[in-house]
Amino acid sequence: MLLGSAFITVMSVPYFDFETLPAFVIEKLPLRFEALWLAALRIHVAAAALSFPLCLVLMTRALQRRARIHRWLGRIAGALVLAALLPSGVVLSFDAKGGLVVTLGFLLSAAIVGAAMIAGVRAARRRDFPAHARAMRHVLGQMSVAVVSRALIVGLDAASIDPHTAYVTALWLPVLTSVAIVEWQARRSLVSRRNRTQLNERLDREESALGLVVRVRALFRPVAGHGR
Amino acid sequence: MCVLSFVPSLATADDSSLVAWTQQRVGTVILKPLAERGGSRFSRSRPPPHERRVRVTQSTLSSDKQGREFIPFSVDVRFGAGEWQRDDIVGCAYRASGNLFVKVGEAYFPAALLLGKKVEALPGACEARAAGS
Repeated sequence: MLLGSAFITVMSVPYFDFETLPAFVIEKLPLRFEALWLAALRIHVAAAALSFPLCLVLMTRALQRRARIHRWLGRIAGALVLAALLPSGVVLSFDAKGGLVVTLGFLLSAAIVGAAMIAGVRAARRRDFPAHARAMRHVLGQMSVAVVSRALIVGLDAASIDPHTAYVTALWLPVLTSVAIVEWQARRSLVSRRNRTQLNERLDREESALGLVVRVRALFRPVAGHGR
Repeated sequence: MCVLSFVPSLATADDSSLVAWTQQRVGTVILKPLAERGGSRFSRSRPPPHERRVRVTQSTLSSDKQGREFIPFSVDVRFGAGEWQRDDIVGCAYRASGNLFVKVGEAYFPAALLLGKKVEALPGACEARAAGS
């Protein structure tokens, strides 16, 4: 994912060349609000180039162990996402090629990111870390759509799929799959946590019964030995 | 009689040379650079079509309001083994200057726009003068 993010950033450098128009911009012409759209594109690309790798790093155990750094980097990532990435993405979505179905796909993805980011921050503040992790996985899942979707576009083009169908599929499929994977993981870890708790409780019970037996046996062993 | 019998064949030769000239001009100025440029991979921009073809949509010259002669054309594209998608690019070629213009929205821009140049639309370009005006 980190590699994919870096690749997207490199491919997006031409968007900051103010003298020429990249192919992605040309095919959108004419735009209703060209200046606003171009500004939104540049903000979106810059915010994504910073926040996506940051979110990936925040998911590592190494950084999660360093709570102070994790907290500060998390604040930066959260601010970037909520103040720059999302608003610019929403502006861009209204001129997405593929029409309403694609616009709705991008808006759904943005809504998931926004809601999950806010829920994740709230969960962290009340120190509910499982809920925080689950919400942040949704944020990262939707961010990963950028990489998966582009890879799908390349793959579907190689398979000679019509570009419109490929574009719609390459957006909706990863958006929904990411939600499904995160929820499945969350449920699995909830079940395993519950199972672990139940196992611990059972072990405690069995251990206490076993301990009693061992203690009782230890008490009687010397007597039994003498009896032989 | 002899002259008259030659007129249609001469006109056909002119038409075919005009069509060939337009196709060659569009191929050189638009299609070849677009093909060389390719599409940026790993981007949300449309992948480059697998095939492009030029259609000259009129076999005779038209004149714009300034009296300059032009001929309209279209570029069709095909992705994989799919159907040809018509009018992916619509434009016109000016006979005297060889300049090409392409339609974006309702306006016509110099064809350099397709190659990323920032250019302004030219009002009245590729618009045929109404008959009798």
